[in-house]
Amino acid sequence: MPLNKDSLPNTFLVATVLCLLCAFVVSAASVTLRPLQLANAQKDRRSNILQVSGFTPEAIEEDGGVKKVFESRFEVRIVDLDTGNDAQAECQAAMDKAKDRVVNLSEEYDQLWASKTNPNKGLSEKLEKKADVCGIKSREKFSEVFIMNSVDGKPELYVFPVRGNGLWSLMQGYLAVKPDFQTVVGLTFYQQAETPGLGGEVQNPDWKALWIDKKIYEDGAVKLAVIKGNKPGNDYGVDALSGATITSNGVTNMIDFWMGDKGFGPYIKQMQNQDSSEAKTSLAGGNNVK
Amino acid sequence: MSSKSSAKDLVLDPIFNNNPIALQILGICSALAVTTKLSTSLTMSFAVIAVTACSSAAVALIRNKIPSSIRIIVQMTIIASFVILVDQILKAFAFSLSKELSVFVGLIITNCIVMGRAEGFAMKNSVSDSFFDGIGNGLGYSIILMVVGFFRELFGSGTLFGFTVFAKQSAGGWYEPNGLMLLSPSAFFIIGIFIWVLRTWKPEQVEEA
Repeated sequence: MPLNKDSLPNTFLVATVLCLLCAFVVSAASVTLRPLQLANAQKDRRSNILQVSGFTPEAIEEDGGVKKVFESRFEVRIVDLDTGNDAQAECQAAMDKAKDRVVNLSEEYDQLWASKTNPNKGLSEKLEKKADVCGIKSREKFSEVFIMNSVDGKPELYVFPVRGNGLWSLMQGYLAVKPDFQTVVGLTFYQQAETPGLGGEVQNPDWKALWIDKKIYEDGAVKLAVIKGNKPGNDYGVDALSGATITSNGVTNMIDFWMGDKGFGPYIKQMQNQDSSEAKTSLAGGNNVK
Repeated sequence: MSSKSSAKDLVLDPIFNNNPIALQILGICSALAVTTKLSTSLTMSFAVIAVTACSSAAVALIRNKIPSSIRIIVQMTIIASFVILVDQILKAFAFSLSKELSVFVGLIITNCIVMGRAEGFAMKNSVSDSFFDGIGNGLGYSIILMVVGFFRELFGSGTLFGFTVFAKQSAGGWYEPNGLMLLSPSAFFIIGIFIWVLRTWKPEQVEEA
């Protein structure tokens, strides 16, 4: 005898079968498409890193595509943001523990995800209200830094991942600077959902071009900002976006945070010290020869 | 809407005669959100057509088994699964477009057209009729999206599908873009004008005051 379709057993039966079926379809799609999606996301981030470093899409195409150019020119370091030290091993250990398996760090480390994990996992830390100028609430402990090396192995530029809240959205992007850690090479966003045509103009190539060769620090403090009514020739100011004050302020705060003590400040200081001590040793070496 | 109507009627009827947005005023939310550009409008259109057609067909397939007490939830589950499927596929094969559409693909779940067709049509009609009805209503939604997207992109950015039509002043041309077109309210004006034109053409759609 067929079940009455409105009976209680049939209701449970339909609900159970449907849920199982839908769950199966959705998870199957998710699992099979995941590698493609991750590859897409990584390619997107890398092509942004290349573009912010001054590669044009044509040049990338000519040299064999995003993957090849990125892997041949860039070195990825993981640093401890608090100390500025290289922290590949620490990050690996913390990630393995958090995910409970051996993680392929170069492909799977997702900083945004890490920043939102529970601080006791050792991947993130809460930010105090006062320090949290760009409204991200918590920050990852380890960050990637992308270093572009010239042919003779000297760093040509550094690309830092940065993010901050605009009006509607978390704006995620990259800031490329010269090895003097003072001159901007470029700024770009790979993820944002600001008002198209107003705040969304952070993506406008004309606006992004304004950042090139701007200076970041004055007397050790971050001075670079997005300014309304900026004077031409101001090395520390970029014209604000009209009709998008909150987005513009968001970008200023983002630079302020990530270039400051809570962001990449300690790393930058360490690199600068290293440079000057290297210069000293090479000088000393020169003396010895004499 | 008898079950005897042909596939052609089912597909074409919702485009002008019984347009889900213009006549039934359903699915306005996403029509505002994704229409600043034609490329996103088009992607969204395909996504909605696929979801409406497939979920209507799936609901029709099991319509005689669905207990009436949980029928809405059953429809919702089916729709949600298809939406996730579409979202995953977009992320895998059209990454940059899915990035621009962001949450709005996911929000197809809450698009009243999809649910409205599942409950209003697919529960009483055959699988193939429901499938065509889904396509038709998806197309009805799409045509509004494309019209709105066309005007918003043309007057808001001076481009169509990203190609420059009006050279903008900021790029050395003559056209001063209309900022309002880039904001959601402009879609209301365009949809309003569309409804006005449609009802002048087909006066039987005018509601009694």
